[in-house]
Amino acid sequence: MFKKVLVANRGEIAVRIIKACQEMGVKTVAVYSEADRTSPHVEIADESINLGDPTPSESYLNIAKIIKNATSVKAEAIHPGYGFLAENPDFAKACADTGIKFIGPTPEVIRLMGDKIEAKKTIAHANVPVIPGYHGVKQDLATLLKEGKKIGFPLLVKATAGGGGKGMRIVHAESELEQSIESAKREAKSAFGNDSVFLEQYIDKPRHIEFQILADEHGHVIHLYERECSIQRRHQKIIEETPSPVLTPTLREAMGTAAVAAAKTVGYTNAGTIEFMVDAKHNFYFMEMNTRLQVEHPITEATTGIDLVKWQLRIASGMDLTLKQSDITQRGHALECRIYAEDPSNGFLPSIGTLEKVEIPIGPNIRNDTGVETHFHVSPYYDPMLAKLTVYSENREESINKMIWALSHYVVLGVTTNISFLKKVLDHPKFREGNITTHFINDHFKDWLVTKEGLPLDALLALAVYDSLHTQRQEVVRYKEADPHSPWQHVGRWRIGV
Amino acid sequence: MFINYEHNNHVYHVIVERRDNQFFITYDNNEYTVTATELKPGQLVISLGERVIKSVISQGEDSKFVFIDGNVFKVKRIELTGRKKTGKKESDLNSPISGTVVKVKVKEGALVKKDDVLLVIEAMKMEYLIHSPYKGKIKKVYFKEKDQIEIGQLTAEIEKEED
Repeated sequence: MFKKVLVANRGEIAVRIIKACQEMGVKTVAVYSEADRTSPHVEIADESINLGDPTPSESYLNIAKIIKNATSVKAEAIHPGYGFLAENPDFAKACADTGIKFIGPTPEVIRLMGDKIEAKKTIAHANVPVIPGYHGVKQDLATLLKEGKKIGFPLLVKATAGGGGKGMRIVHAESELEQSIESAKREAKSAFGNDSVFLEQYIDKPRHIEFQILADEHGHVIHLYERECSIQRRHQKIIEETPSPVLTPTLREAMGTAAVAAAKTVGYTNAGTIEFMVDAKHNFYFMEMNTRLQVEHPITEATTGIDLVKWQLRIASGMDLTLKQSDITQRGHALECRIYAEDPSNGFLPSIGTLEKVEIPIGPNIRNDTGVETHFHVSPYYDPMLAKLTVYSENREESINKMIWALSHYVVLGVTTNISFLKKVLDHPKFREGNITTHFINDHFKDWLVTKEGLPLDALLALAVYDSLHTQRQEVVRYKEADPHSPWQHVGRWRIGV
Repeated sequence: MFINYEHNNHVYHVIVERRDNQFFITYDNNEYTVTATELKPGQLVISLGERVIKSVISQGEDSKFVFIDGNVFKVKRIELTGRKKTGKKESDLNSPISGTVVKVKVKEGALVKKDDVLLVIEAMKMEYLIHSPYKGKIKKVYFKEKDQIEIGQLTAEIEKEED
């Protein structure tokens, strides 16, 4: 085992990794930018290094700076967490070149899986289903039309350089194909300066279901079952659960086997995740592989009892993965919610400010992964995820109820968070039924407003009591409106500035 | 005590009177009698009849945050003049608001105790009292009844006397 590990990340994931290291007797080194000087991950690490300028490219994304510091403190390994440099093959390569162990797969595998089209081609060779499509370089209309007809309808035309729905068309019938390809190409050209497109079968009512993988450096690969991550906003997951309410034992087995086959085919090592799309008829297709620890790994840890970060460290230090596939069982049900400093009633825009108060819910089978505390300043430099809340129960219904209880007791004051939004999503009848797709938020919560009804009476009473207790005597002494006939007695709630 | 809260462009007008841990709160023509305990700073347990309301309140830079049952409301306490109240200190004899002087309770040369009312100023149908910050002798009163007064203007001067 390593003697000292540098954690090249921040926030809750840095805290989570540092704690795992400390439990295993491994010394830890935190890195931080000027904006994170007083962050929890800096406080709990055995050593910490100031990377300076909070701009990501000057701190958490700066390969040269991180490698130089790792060398100077004699760290034997670097854990990249997720995000930042976790899936950067150049960083993994730079570690290897300096004799530092990168806790993750090899640079070659990261590079291969990072190219989404190459990844699909490679994985298809392992007899893992991929979404039927055309990803060729030949972009003339005749070729695209021929390939489109081969795939069938509905079909998706998507810009290769795409993002944010630009250069994307859903084609329902052959008669629309030519026009859709041409308009997608025009849009892609003006948006990305590149008019190359690919064609894929369109999956209606898709669910996002992924499988956790552990692979050692001696060829042993297992999966740790699925995580359903269909609840997403702006293509980012906000609620994850396991087991998925839709998988049958047969389908689970088939997908698990496919996930292991996919990992073996590319010579994968360490922890990774195979993401699948599952359609309404329960067909599953490989989408991509995440070559790192996932944000939502705690739900897998809850239902399997396996500590994924500790296994990452053991595997990276060359140890055998002693767990057999038959050792891994799924028990109960786990749910995770991501707590974001963002405004769900305003396009999920990040909310910046100082956390005046943070009080996390505590109770049986409630796990808090958090990288913030009271007085922490949420800066504009980084992802606004503050914390993760994970609950574990005997079954899905109890998990949902426990999560709603926990969210109702989760106090974050000072910035707008998505906590009340998460509660509403969990309590939606369709969510409770398990009837979810990746379009869930768009379908059911498009114009959601947190305060449709205005300030509730309970909040007013609490405020009145609070101000009555805390107002200085000389601040406002007496008003003429002690007179019960004053018109102010009868105005109640009214509106200004509209 | 009269308080106006602003939340999402709505103003809520509340009257609260306190007697020990009992609070009489009037809002929208209804009176609510509640008992309340502050468990730790900002953490309130309020009983309204059979119902218990638990809330956490914190004071931000210019707003308060109220936590109730997993929901958070950002609320601003406002004065109806639309002006910000001046940072009134213990020794402040300046007017906290623009309005009319409706009563002058002291004459020049009079002796006053700490907290004696010196002037009453009315603005937007509310009265503001100017108290003597310390024991002393009135040296100068700058306003008479029915005078207009602007926010921040000095109302009187007192020659401080030691106890």
